[in-house]
Amino acid sequence: MTEHNERVAVQLDEWPDDVESDEGVVVNWFVSEGATITESESLCEVQIEKVSLDVYAPASGTLTEIRCGEDDEFERGETLAWVTPTPSED
Amino acid sequence: MSGAESTRELTMSRAMVSAIAHEMRENDDVFYMGEDVADYGGIFDSTQGLREEFGYDRIMDVPISETAYIGAAVGAAQAGMRPIAELMFVDFFGVAMDQIYNQMAKNTYMSGGNVSVPMVLTAAVGGTYNDAAQHSQTLYGTFAHIPGLKIVVPSTAYEAKGLMHNAIRDDDPVLYMFHKRLMGIGWMPAPDGPKTPVPETDYTIPFGRADVKRDGEDVTIVTLGLHVHRALEAAETLASDGISAEVIDLRSLVPLDTETIVESVEKTGNLVVVDEDYRSYGVTGEVTARVAEEALDALERVERVAVPDVPIPYSRPLEKEVIPGTEDIVNAATRTQ
Amino acid sequence: MPHASENTLTRLYENMVTARYYEERLQEEYLEGKQPAFDISAGPIPGELHLAAGHEAAGAGVCDHLRDDDIVTATHRPHHIAIAKGVDLKRMTAEIFGRETGLGKGKGGHMHLFDPDVNFACSGIIAEGCPPAVGGALAAQKRNTDSVAVSYLGEGAIDQGAFLESLNFASVFDLPVVFVIEDNDWAISMPKERVTDVENGAKRADGFEMPGVRVDSDDVLDVYDAAGEAIGRARDRNGPTVIEVQVHRRMGHFMGDPETYRPEADQEAAAERDSIVRLESDLREAGVEDDRIDEIRDDAHSRVDEAIEWAKDQPLPEPGAAHEDLFVSPASGVTDSEPDFEAVGGEE
Repeated sequence: MTEHNERVAVQLDEWPDDVESDEGVVVNWFVSEGATITESESLCEVQIEKVSLDVYAPASGTLTEIRCGEDDEFERGETLAWVTPTPSED
Repeated sequence: MSGAESTRELTMSRAMVSAIAHEMRENDDVFYMGEDVADYGGIFDSTQGLREEFGYDRIMDVPISETAYIGAAVGAAQAGMRPIAELMFVDFFGVAMDQIYNQMAKNTYMSGGNVSVPMVLTAAVGGTYNDAAQHSQTLYGTFAHIPGLKIVVPSTAYEAKGLMHNAIRDDDPVLYMFHKRLMGIGWMPAPDGPKTPVPETDYTIPFGRADVKRDGEDVTIVTLGLHVHRALEAAETLASDGISAEVIDLRSLVPLDTETIVESVEKTGNLVVVDEDYRSYGVTGEVTARVAEEALDALERVERVAVPDVPIPYSRPLEKEVIPGTEDIVNAATRTQ
Repeated sequence: MPHASENTLTRLYENMVTARYYEERLQEEYLEGKQPAFDISAGPIPGELHLAAGHEAAGAGVCDHLRDDDIVTATHRPHHIAIAKGVDLKRMTAEIFGRETGLGKGKGGHMHLFDPDVNFACSGIIAEGCPPAVGGALAAQKRNTDSVAVSYLGEGAIDQGAFLESLNFASVFDLPVVFVIEDNDWAISMPKERVTDVENGAKRADGFEMPGVRVDSDDVLDVYDAAGEAIGRARDRNGPTVIEVQVHRRMGHFMGDPETYRPEADQEAAAERDSIVRLESDLREAGVEDDRIDEIRDDAHSRVDEAIEWAKDQPLPEPGAAHEDLFVSPASGVTDSEPDFEAVGGEE
């Protein structure tokens, strides 16, 4: 297991303005745990009320842990998954 | 799934959109017309993000004038472009049927093959969310009945992309019927199954090539669209009852892959056809007749599972009664044994 | 108020607050179970739901002139019109909740409400209520009655063939029909400027040699006056009219519409133009006491609450009922036997 302080949290960047709810639901994951991912690619889709939003990879690396699976609810600011960044070459 | 590989999975809507976007980048003659396809991105996510990349000129919101814009797609196609027109709900075909039945489908034939109509008509189909009689039909049989249209019905993201590439590149009119429940829309959760790994490159899936989604020995279940997933679920249940079911996903209605169906029935002897369209004069009757024509001797039992001949009712217990469920498929397959 | 009596004012007000509160309550019920994420299959009300808050003046101002024998066809956003036409509130609500005692025994749903007692029907397909309304007017003309028909449509529907063909048909046969366009500026996500070049929907009448009137004041009394004149003309057999009423979409196209395509300023402007608020001040000016206004509103709310509670108590239909009601006659028609050829006068 990787050290926690090396991991980067996957979170929804901006909560939409026009919804009342402080909770959302993960509706689709596009990659599974262990996948190699590229920074800024879409990892999953969440839904808050009827607004759908994509959540993007905060860094390139490995998606080490999905904390909120499909159909799971999450709160504003909650971490949906963890990415372990690829060690930089230089 | 052992996860070391980067297996990217897409929802059916995203796969469909990625094919459209790819074709639009490659070919300036491809454009999309429909209601709420630009800013909204399609009521069922069929054009999400396309307006942002291609602008209003190529992702056109049109007046609520289906006769005009579907007919305009026919005309633009005959003039050499490759338009895609969208019927928001297939149920709305009625207001524009002449353009579909008498122009889009017939102009090639009536011209002795001198005119081609390289367009795609996309349409959202299907029920299961209580949208009642005017917004829940599939109408597969209605369109497959008229000669001159190629008709595809994807059941997974992988197929949605490959069939869309082929539909846009094909020189004939293609009706691309996508089931709302399979699209992976947040507010209408899809069953497990339609979200699949999808190659990033472009690829084409031929029309008229059914896909055996599950091998089996005792009974052949032929279906399409949403009911591919219900049939696969039924096959699991049947397996635990000791019945081995083969599940065939038609993927296209025109052309229809009779060969794959007949081969399977020759192996199993039993045919169950499952359809979300009306029972009479439709897909279940056609598939059964094809098998009877080709392999009557191989056929021991036939069961048809379809919407009884009533419009789709609104209330939940009523809709559930008429749209075939997994249990209906299990029961039908069991009856053949 | 030169054009309407105090009775008329209070009647319109009662109708409009009933319709508004009805939609507010349905919104509440519909969203139950749809938080935090919206799943269309969750909650007590099935399917899609198109609410008409902001459209009330077009329902009340027109239908107040109608009798039970007059025909109304409404749109996919029909509740306020149904309420104004006098559709049975409890049975309509039961239908919306998909119950056995609903207007259509749970088969129709909220876009497909039929109440033959007051000659009300609606359709979920854009502009497709126009031809049947024309047909209702045709029947009245052929039977020489003085009843009329009113066809409602949205501003997005003015580009549909069914509407334009209906205008021509009504015009050429001088039919007693009034087309009421509810202009709420938006066809789902498409603003009207982007899909039509005509200045307003009433102008569609110009090409068909009939009067076209637009009401843009948020004043239900202006709607009432325009409709009174048009319906009077129809009743006197002086031909059809088009009326366009500016209304406002306060609750999105359908429940759960994120309206991300709609500028916030537009939403706010629509919210501010409220013909119910305007009518309240007219009532006060006409000398109606605040207590009386509150009483009318409270009564309307009680009636709505009662209808919703009643509907929710009603049983769901038995699944087997799905197979009934396709026809009213036996499938064989009026007979199930065929006479002997000679017995009916045939000769071999």
